[in-house]
Amino acid sequence: MPQTKPTALIIGAGFTGIATAYDLAMRGFQVDVLERGELGSGTSGRTHGLLHSGARYCVHDQEAAVECVAENAILRKIARQCIEGNSGYFIAVNESDLAFAESFTRGAEQCSLPIAEVPPAELLTVEPMLSPQLLRAFRVNDGTFDPLRLAYAFAASARQHGARFYPYCEVEELLLDQSRRVVGASVWNRVTDQRQQYQADVLINTAGVWAGRIAAMAGIELPVKPVPGVMVAVEKRLCQNTINRLNEPGDGDIILPQRRMVVIGTTSFDAVDVDYIPIIREQVEQMVDQGSEMIPAIRQTAHRGVFMSSRPLIKASGDARNLARTCKVYDHEKSDGVGGFFSLIGGKATTCRAMAEKISDMVSARFGIDAACQTARIELESYRKFFQFGTEQA
Amino acid sequence: MDNLPGSPARRGWLQWIDPRGKQGGGWGFLINRLAGLGLTFYLFLHLMVLGKLANGPESYDGFVKLAHHPVVVAGEVLVVLAVLLHGFNGIRILLTSFGIGVARQRLWLVLAGVLALGIGLFFILRMAGVLS
Amino acid sequence: MNDLWKLTVQIKRYKPGRGQWTSTYNIQIHPDEYVLDAVEQIWAYQDRSLVYRHLCHHSTCGACGMRVNHREKLACITRIRDITRAGGTILIEPLRNMPVISDLAVDMGQFFRLLDEIDYDQVQPAGSLPTGKGIRPDKKQPDGIERLVDCLECGLCVSACPAGATSGEYMGPAALAAIQLSSSSGYADMLDLADSEDGAWRCHSAFACTDVCPSNVEPGWRIMDLRKKLIARQLSVMVKKNEVTHG
Repeated sequence: MPQTKPTALIIGAGFTGIATAYDLAMRGFQVDVLERGELGSGTSGRTHGLLHSGARYCVHDQEAAVECVAENAILRKIARQCIEGNSGYFIAVNESDLAFAESFTRGAEQCSLPIAEVPPAELLTVEPMLSPQLLRAFRVNDGTFDPLRLAYAFAASARQHGARFYPYCEVEELLLDQSRRVVGASVWNRVTDQRQQYQADVLINTAGVWAGRIAAMAGIELPVKPVPGVMVAVEKRLCQNTINRLNEPGDGDIILPQRRMVVIGTTSFDAVDVDYIPIIREQVEQMVDQGSEMIPAIRQTAHRGVFMSSRPLIKASGDARNLARTCKVYDHEKSDGVGGFFSLIGGKATTCRAMAEKISDMVSARFGIDAACQTARIELESYRKFFQFGTEQA
Repeated sequence: MDNLPGSPARRGWLQWIDPRGKQGGGWGFLINRLAGLGLTFYLFLHLMVLGKLANGPESYDGFVKLAHHPVVVAGEVLVVLAVLLHGFNGIRILLTSFGIGVARQRLWLVLAGVLALGIGLFFILRMAGVLS
Repeated sequence: MNDLWKLTVQIKRYKPGRGQWTSTYNIQIHPDEYVLDAVEQIWAYQDRSLVYRHLCHHSTCGACGMRVNHREKLACITRIRDITRAGGTILIEPLRNMPVISDLAVDMGQFFRLLDEIDYDQVQPAGSLPTGKGIRPDKKQPDGIERLVDCLECGLCVSACPAGATSGEYMGPAALAAIQLSSSSGYADMLDLADSEDGAWRCHSAFACTDVCPSNVEPGWRIMDLRKKLIARQLSVMVKKNEVTHG
């Protein structure tokens, strides 16, 4: 009897879903990925593109910081083609910033996060557009990545291992059998305007800020909290490395170079419907104000693009700024009595590979598949090869 | 991707002549093609007319009378404009094809147009008897 | 709010089996938002069957190329204020010269397969890339810095190119620009690939590619530079042959 591969249906092709498709396909699953739009067209595409050093989290979310340190190095190796592999700096421009330095350096040490103090005069030769009020600076291992290329690099590798991608296919219902096991999904194919059904041995919900909507189709409540914020991209590459405000996580605390732009981010507010969020003018002005404190020329630089992006946070008590950025994985058979269904919520772009490993470990164990995760060791395929691998028609 | 039948690309030579959305060099491209076609047609006509010479003076005189017809005169003007536009833009294309002056190609396009229309205007005024 | 504009948005639609048609929508949107926001608003509130591509919303990914009022644009950085007025109409169509998947989404498979063959890395040392209005590498860039290159692989140039309108085989401005960039920075010599009737010689100097490029690539200049290089190479080969036979 030929061994047939177990089938997995992944809902949501953001970084998490695509990386999971890659991992599971490598471990021997036949993977199909359903995505209601273009790959990465949810939160993932709208990341400002920070390859996290982890330093932003080293005081209040040390678990996330430690994860970032490891994954930063891994992505620099496996996704080199998508990453401006420069550095980042945490800079102090006023007394409040200076006061934070002690917690920052202590946090970095606790997380074994490499930082190096740089004299302001020296940094100003490397980054001449920084505010002359520069008081103190630390170098960290930040980088910039391109979201489409990172998504498609993982997707190309997934396809190379036999995964199939179905964009413009929106899941409308989950199909459950009598024993409350999820066995498939009913899908609206927006290209052909037809309804189709997909079956699989296991369904994995990686729909990001919409994961709650998917889980609700199986009667499950997931603590997903979308927290949008604004980003402002301006017309000049005013810095060569990421510039972060040395202070508590707050609005406008990062300026990230990317191609010939810099991107200033971000704000944080509650929203319920995140399919479309109009740009909030006051927040744009706020970004310019905050950004100009670190790089004064921002005030005179024309805006290239302004957009809203929703972080997929996990509901918990506390201020949204300090909600954990680690992820949570659910085996719904154990947590809700619904079999054949897993969800992953939360997380961030930099740790997408690790999140995929986490859920792939869980799913593989369920199916008695002993394969260890290989994704950290192998360089991803060229993102352009996505259009080459795989079958042509469903 | 795996579920997308797709349709053939939207292409066609109509895109050459579609004026909507055209900018700068797109107009240069279009004008050169129309002028080129026009001049080819004119060359054919010209040879036909010259061929009449072989049929004797009456046949040729017949044509000369026709030459004063306003449509023919307008046609002459168009030919002159076509030669000027096609010629000057052609020089621009020749030079840029060898990598000369490419960075300012839009400027050369405008200059070619101005020169062509300027000389053309001079020719029209002369024909109309306004200038000698 | 008073400062929102009322607009009519016409979108060229396509579904396989149904063919093409134009959908008309009325929206209210702030004029400092972008065409992509208008499309997204329409999808979110009026027509979930609308298919379009987008990721980054700030012109790094290149996914949202569309024709807006007949001109190739990246919808995410095309401000509504810059292309229409209050009460105006916007026409949105998919890119040309590439197969349409549905509505505003086109199939860029052939485009990317060719770029994959050329394999010019998206991340390059900053000193090998131009800055400002320059076309040649700006060697004054700091050492040790790398950045994502200018070409977003958005396909606007391919859509605008009249040669591409009648030739499915033409390599197109993006691929040729990649060859020029690759060869002139010493990354890889791909000149042979451009030296064909479907390569650098197919171009008819419309420079429509340069006109629509949102990202300082200057593909028209690069194609002409390729021609210069190919001719120079051919001449030096001829000279060498001459030397061999007469030397």
